[in-house]
Amino acid sequence: MTAAADEDRDTIDKVTNGDYDAFETLVNKYEGRIYRHLRKLVGDNQQAEDLLQETFLNAYKGLAGFSGTSAFSTWLFRIATNNALMFLRKNRPEIVEYIDGIASAGDVEIVPGSPEFVSTPLEILLSLEGRKKIEEAIDDLPALYRSVLVLRDVEGFSIKEVSVIMETSVAAIKSRLHRARNAVRATLGSYYRERKLSSLRRDPIET
Amino acid sequence: MKQCKDFCKYLSDFLDGEVGTDEYKLIEEHLEVCSPCAMTYESLKTTVDICSKGLSDDVPDSVRVRLKEFLRSHCKQDHCEIE
Repeated sequence: MTAAADEDRDTIDKVTNGDYDAFETLVNKYEGRIYRHLRKLVGDNQQAEDLLQETFLNAYKGLAGFSGTSAFSTWLFRIATNNALMFLRKNRPEIVEYIDGIASAGDVEIVPGSPEFVSTPLEILLSLEGRKKIEEAIDDLPALYRSVLVLRDVEGFSIKEVSVIMETSVAAIKSRLHRARNAVRATLGSYYRERKLSSLRRDPIET
Repeated sequence: MKQCKDFCKYLSDFLDGEVGTDEYKLIEEHLEVCSPCAMTYESLKTTVDICSKGLSDDVPDSVRVRLKEFLRSHCKQDHCEIE
């Protein structure tokens, strides 16, 4: 992350010195990840596109104030996350305020691991159908949990960076991540168990 | 005596290396002898692994083009300089 942050620093300096093309370099580098994050958070392509534009415009205007104490990517994702949560609080407050069973029940229920899930080859888990299931399992999470899981496990930010992006304590991030991962794990485990059972019903010889 | 559910609470932190050395050793030892917890941990690892690989970051060309146009028109005007 440090090397990447340094690399961005040079580009940022060019932008603040009036080089607009350098800003487009940053946009090209991060637009895919920011768009993916926004789509996951708001669940709507058009809205994600509006927020994508708003996020980069905010970044451009605020770039002179970027201190560099965190990586540029952390700072950018913080703007995107704030914009998305602000939009959800205004337009779909039930999604942000909604704290379902996995949040309020104290200890999250840990369902047993599914051998059918674990033994499924990666090419099936990451097939078109498999990817759709991953998307659906993540989409089922409440927004704040979804955001933490996407930032940590999809975008690869550290726990500390996620806590900076979400403006939440490290302990709260860890707790949300634990619950989010286990909820997704339970959904996928149950799907692949059922998938295996269905295939056995169709073809009892298969083991 | 710790039960399986006590270990399972920390598997996510364990996976991230976010537990202390003593706890790490305890969990590691438990996973070696407890196959249900080992399976839970394996499925957690698989979940994290496929989440990291399974979501595309493709942006449709039309979205990309509109983003560039939007930014050029809003950022390059005199009234919208970097603040």
